Amino acid sequence: MKHALFLTGIVLFASAAMADDAPPWSENILDRPLNFEKLASQDTAAMELLISHGERLFIGKFTTADGAGRPAATQAIVPTKRRRPSPLTFQRLAGLDANSCASCHHDPVAGAAGDFTTNVFVSEGFESADFETIDPQFSNERGTTALQGAGLIELLAREMTKELRDQRRDVAHLARSTGTAQTIDLSAKGISFGRLTAHPDGSLDVHEIEGIDPDLTLRPFSQKGVFTSLRQFTVNALNHHHGIQASERFGAVWTGTDDFDEDGLAAEITEGDVSALVVWQATLATPARKQIMPEIWARAAEKGEQQFGAIGCAQCHVPALPLDSLIFEDPGPYETAGTLRPGDVTDGIHMDLATLDWVKALDRDEQGRVLVPLFGDLKRHKIADAAQDRLGNELLSQRFVPRDEFLTAELWGVGSTAPYGHRGDLTTLDEVIRAHGGAATAARKAYETLPEIERESIIAFLRSLEIPQ
Amino acid sequence: MTPCRVSPAAVWLRRSALAAALLAGPGLAQADTRPTSLAPVPAFLDETGTAGIAHRYDGPWEYFVGGGTAVFDCDGDRRPDIFLAGGENRASLYRNRSESGGPLTFELTTTGVPERQMTRVLGAYPLDFNNDDILDLAVLRLGENLLLAGQGDCRFEIANRALGFDGGREWTTSFSAVWETGETFPTLAFGNYVDRSAPGAPWGTCHDNFLFRPNGALAPRYPEAFRLSPGYCALSILFTDWNRSGEPALRMSNDRHYYRDGQEQLWAVPAGRPPRPYRASDGWRTVRIWGMGIASIDLNVDGFPEYALTSMGDTKLQMLDDEADETLPIYRDIAFDTGVTAHRPYTGDDLRPSTGWHADFQDLNNDSLWDLFIAKGNVEAMPDFAAFDPDNLLLGQWDGRFVEVGDSSGLAKDSRGRGAGLADFNLDGLLDVIVVNRSAPVSLFRNVGRGDANQTRPLGNWLAIDLRQPGQPNTRAVGAKVSVKIGNRTVTRDVLIGGGHASGQMGFLHFGLGVSERAEVRVRWPDGDWSHTYRVFANHHVIIERDAAEVRLWMAP
Repeated sequence: MKHALFLTGIVLFASAAMADDAPPWSENILDRPLNFEKLASQDTAAMELLISHGERLFIGKFTTADGAGRPAATQAIVPTKRRRPSPLTFQRLAGLDANSCASCHHDPVAGAAGDFTTNVFVSEGFESADFETIDPQFSNERGTTALQGAGLIELLAREMTKELRDQRRDVAHLARSTGTAQTIDLSAKGISFGRLTAHPDGSLDVHEIEGIDPDLTLRPFSQKGVFTSLRQFTVNALNHHHGIQASERFGAVWTGTDDFDEDGLAAEITEGDVSALVVWQATLATPARKQIMPEIWARAAEKGEQQFGAIGCAQCHVPALPLDSLIFEDPGPYETAGTLRPGDVTDGIHMDLATLDWVKALDRDEQGRVLVPLFGDLKRHKIADAAQDRLGNELLSQRFVPRDEFLTAELWGVGSTAPYGHRGDLTTLDEVIRAHGGAATAARKAYETLPEIERESIIAFLRSLEIPQ
Repeated sequence: MTPCRVSPAAVWLRRSALAAALLAGPGLAQADTRPTSLAPVPAFLDETGTAGIAHRYDGPWEYFVGGGTAVFDCDGDRRPDIFLAGGENRASLYRNRSESGGPLTFELTTTGVPERQMTRVLGAYPLDFNNDDILDLAVLRLGENLLLAGQGDCRFEIANRALGFDGGREWTTSFSAVWETGETFPTLAFGNYVDRSAPGAPWGTCHDNFLFRPNGALAPRYPEAFRLSPGYCALSILFTDWNRSGEPALRMSNDRHYYRDGQEQLWAVPAGRPPRPYRASDGWRTVRIWGMGIASIDLNVDGFPEYALTSMGDTKLQMLDDEADETLPIYRDIAFDTGVTAHRPYTGDDLRPSTGWHADFQDLNNDSLWDLFIAKGNVEAMPDFAAFDPDNLLLGQWDGRFVEVGDSSGLAKDSRGRGAGLADFNLDGLLDVIVVNRSAPVSLFRNVGRGDANQTRPLGNWLAIDLRQPGQPNTRAVGAKVSVKIGNRTVTRDVLIGGGHASGQMGFLHFGLGVSERAEVRVRWPDGDWSHTYRVFANHHVIIERDAAEVRLWMAP
């Protein structure tokens, strides 16, 4: 990697000396920090190198010399001090709970999902690791999600956010100009997000908004749909799982110290290195249809896909959403303070995903838009109710989202990501389909009433959606 | 405070523990040793010449003090407009025409108030004294004070007669208001300065201050003033719940230049009973300063506010002492420990002591830490005090201290500041600054965050909250406490009318959220009831109406 970077004549490292000093057998992986400003000024060739660097950071195991560990900081996404140091550097509840990103995101390939053993716990309430608990009153357990295709997911979310916010702006203007309250149906890329009423005084009644936060920022990541971007997710995860604290959130500007976690290491990961992680994740190829399978499976899958649509699954698990632009900008346009924003840098990184072979292979619609075959709608739905509460087995809302609402799982790769459900505790596709309640009740009942052979065809179809190895 | 025949500065210097420090070393050396702010420093553009405001506060001796501004929405569009005291010049009202995120732009408008009553104005405070949800103004004057009832569209009517309010003939320099427990209409307090007609004036002739309690069930009436005597030349007064009893007391910051045997004051104002001053037997300690302005905030979120008191020389920052309790208002000064003494100019080579006036705690860099702004300026030409005396911006730091960034932020201007207002005039989530200067144009600074004239760049996340009690008395929830939880931290602020220097503001309450993308907001309404928790996302204006299930968002035009 270092050799390649210098071969191009581009010096992207924040400190070339650090790179030179690292012996070839070094166990550390953050010893070659990248300089964001230099990255942003480079061309596509540098992006390839950036992706390679990102993969190294994603797979590499962080060491204490890298900054692993956070003796004085909690896992919270808002910098929070522990009341007392944890006696354990690693523990599964409060973290650290992983050595590398790929510790969990590895099945069947790096960047993908993980089984029950890779579950993590979502809890921000405790300032002392001693009190961490798996009691569902205080903690939610989450399975690891696959990141393949995440770049296109983020681009879809950005476009949908813009579309919804434009509608908000327009209806607010209309209410002001007409002097009467105006109500609109919010929708983006054909997905409905409820209704919004604007009043002549500029105030907005948001209580009929559905499936998205009232600020109309579409947050497409995590099972709950509460993270805006790969960058935000990455900064969160680096602290939570590894104790690696990104300067853009934990640095002196926002905390008064460059060593917030008091592990003796300042400025543990640069903006450039976070970008490398983001870019690598954003360029992971989308899942695809299984190419080689027995004829009987192919026929069943074809039949199953038809049934999948016929019984209503595709209402939420929408087969594809159109994407206008393939330019992935880092940082993204809807970041807030604590995650690098466009306003924080002179120039951002602009990466044209259209140059990637796997993007070229995607279908396009009549308008030339790439059809992202995600089998999802990037919307949150109520997925549990009193009659079927298997997927509502939590007592704690997460980041303002009710406990029985989750983002529609993207199914493009579901054939490779068992087990299922947000807790990873459903072992088969049939089990997770039967666990659907709430808004999915009708589809679930329709599934349950199908003859076994037709249910099997749906399973065959879903199993054909896989992450290539 | 006024042209000196004796030198109070000299006396002060001999007494001050800071004297040695003040006299030691050149100013540049001081600058070299100043701590650097780790918190992000906002950049301000001086848009005085382009914003459309042409106004000066000026006049003889009586207008060496005052020079206030009221920042409030007078036309119902929720953008902050500006009323400016003029002294011997006419007071002015400017509508805010700023585009969201754009340069500051204002337009002079008429108030409907006769010309002669818009002169001799020292300051003004917005409030809704008649509960019609249109903001009114209390106008402080040299002579008859005015209660102006807002009519909407930035028009006002003098309501003194309708209210049975005698505006008096005093030299009024300060104001505060509060809705006392069970009252439909507010109690009004007017702080007066020197009684020029008294024998021996101006020395030792401070006027009494006045407290007007409302009577009348359907409409407010203020037929009778209670005299808060003795008065010690109050240049700033503030109703504040110092002991979280739910019963605001009246704090007064007084100018020692004219009183004899006076001191800072705190009056208990028990509902339905006469006010009484706290005395030494109550634990109240004598503090004598050239008190000019009060700013209040609960820095350590213990429920007990801290108070910054501006003065000539060092600013005080008072915190309840360990010996204090809910009945004993014993304060200690933490200004030196926290770095807010601001006792002399922080830049330039003028080593003489500063003169501080308006003060306000706000979060100007949105990092979730309170900052302290102080308007500074020589009284007129007092030789023992700094002539070049720029305003202070003391940025709160994570270690609990404050660091001066007035110069690096672009606020250090060679003018004699008096009143001021800190508000988001262009609704971009960054607080801008207006300063009324004596004998000079008003200063107007646009906060461009980390940006410059070409581009605004954001600082931390923020939240702006407009509190309302629709259909109830006290429509703007004066006396409420707003608690904003971000992560495991909480920041709070009270909705108050008063303090500062002759300047008040009412509108969106601004909170910096730092790196938090979300916040949980609770409101303790003026009657003590707590709201449920409102969940809000950062970087929005929100309206919280009492008993509403959810907040309403608000979109800037």
